Amino acid sequence: MKRLTASAAFFLAAALSVGAVPADVTYTEGDASVRLKNGTQKDAEIGAVLNTGDTLKTGGDGQAELDQKGVTIKIARNTVFTLMEKAQGNQSTSVLSVTLGSIKFHYNKLTGTEPQVRTNGALAGVRGTDFTVFAGADGSTLFTVDSGEVSVEAGGQTVALDAGQGVEVPLGQPPGGTFAVHSDQQDYRTWNADKLAAMLADPLAALGSVETAMADYIKNVGDYAASYQEYRQRLDAERQKRAQIFTEQGADAAQKYEQDVVTPLALQAGYLELNVRFYALAALSLRRFVAGRLYVILKARSIATPTDPTWVSFTSRFDALLASFEKSIAPQLVAVDI
Amino acid sequence: MQKHLLRRVVPVLACAVALSLSSCATFQRWGDQGAVRQVTGEIKAANAPALAARSVTPFLLDGEIVLIPSDVADFWAGVLKAGFTIDGATLDAGAAVSPQSYQKFADTMEVKAFFSRYVKSGSRILELNTASGTHVLLLVKSDWFTWKIIGFKGPF
Repeated sequence: MKRLTASAAFFLAAALSVGAVPADVTYTEGDASVRLKNGTQKDAEIGAVLNTGDTLKTGGDGQAELDQKGVTIKIARNTVFTLMEKAQGNQSTSVLSVTLGSIKFHYNKLTGTEPQVRTNGALAGVRGTDFTVFAGADGSTLFTVDSGEVSVEAGGQTVALDAGQGVEVPLGQPPGGTFAVHSDQQDYRTWNADKLAAMLADPLAALGSVETAMADYIKNVGDYAASYQEYRQRLDAERQKRAQIFTEQGADAAQKYEQDVVTPLALQAGYLELNVRFYALAALSLRRFVAGRLYVILKARSIATPTDPTWVSFTSRFDALLASFEKSIAPQLVAVDI
Repeated sequence: MQKHLLRRVVPVLACAVALSLSSCATFQRWGDQGAVRQVTGEIKAANAPALAARSVTPFLLDGEIVLIPSDVADFWAGVLKAGFTIDGATLDAGAAVSPQSYQKFADTMEVKAFFSRYVKSGSRILELNTASGTHVLLLVKSDWFTWKIIGFKGPF
């Protein structure tokens, strides 16, 4: 029995890790740090390897460059970048997450299994070789493509970008119209300053966008968690049946049942669990780098005027947002995620 | 021989006295008041760079965990620009952090994890009464005489 369980666990772990592609740190400058999946923080050093769940953060004078099996990832100043993983169909796939700041991607060659690129409000499928992603303080995203193609999906709608085109995706909304642009024409600092100014001009509208995006993440977490529970129950039942077959028909019959029935179910449960974690971590990223930063800025502005009506309305809705997060997302997180 | 013995014994005795003093409630309160004076002094002097330098990240603001150092610096600059003062601050209570201390900030999974991961044992949690309400300061020791701010809450 132990032999069966161990081999199944190995197969399951190997199958689930197929899409996880590590990235090597090839260049750093100034303030660049790494936060590993286990919560350990250290300076980013050339030669370090980032795995799924690891985050690279640059400060005001920091830059870094990664190589992920033929993908060059140039991380600019004041940027937060995380290697993530999600299930798509019957396989896991790498997701390059730009939480804040700007990153330029260069694909040396296209293999058809390129990792997706996500921000707080959009997901991009890559068929291009050079493109840039800006992730703004308000959660909005700007994609610009220099060569190849990129398809950008948000709010259930997809826009295809060709070389020389860009699109902006407001948080919680579908992509806007495409426009002609070259990445060198866009300055992140100016673009982000405009986003920040608009956010602070109407913080309740900005919070509304966060609420919409968070509701979407909460729905995804709930749906995948419910499916996962269903598969776990089926898996438990099938494992009992396998034990019964082992007793009644012997090891060979039990091993065949393991391969034909139990392992596929375990794989499917693993993929569902992977997506529960993916959407929970995406929700945490939205909560920390968009909602939380908005709170901190508004708190500073309102600390001497705590009865300001906008601040009072904001905190009331913000508390409700946090209550939803605590109820639906926090149970899927662990202390090292924080 | 006696001089040699004294040279060994005196430092040990000094350490023992310092250790016993550090566990003494009066000494702790004296230390807490000194830390409060350092922080409130910088707020009264509207010295945002000093407050930023005194703060560490991750930083806890109410129930929000701030990970980016420039956000903490911007917060202190923002509160001082908004005219925030901490007039008449008196130390209402001071205690070493305990497993329940996170509840002083927010009773959430995130804040509980923040305390377990980032707040070292021996850190102090201080409640201040001010003209604008109550504040909570969460301080970690940087060296023998300097405290760093790792959390700030209020006014409430």
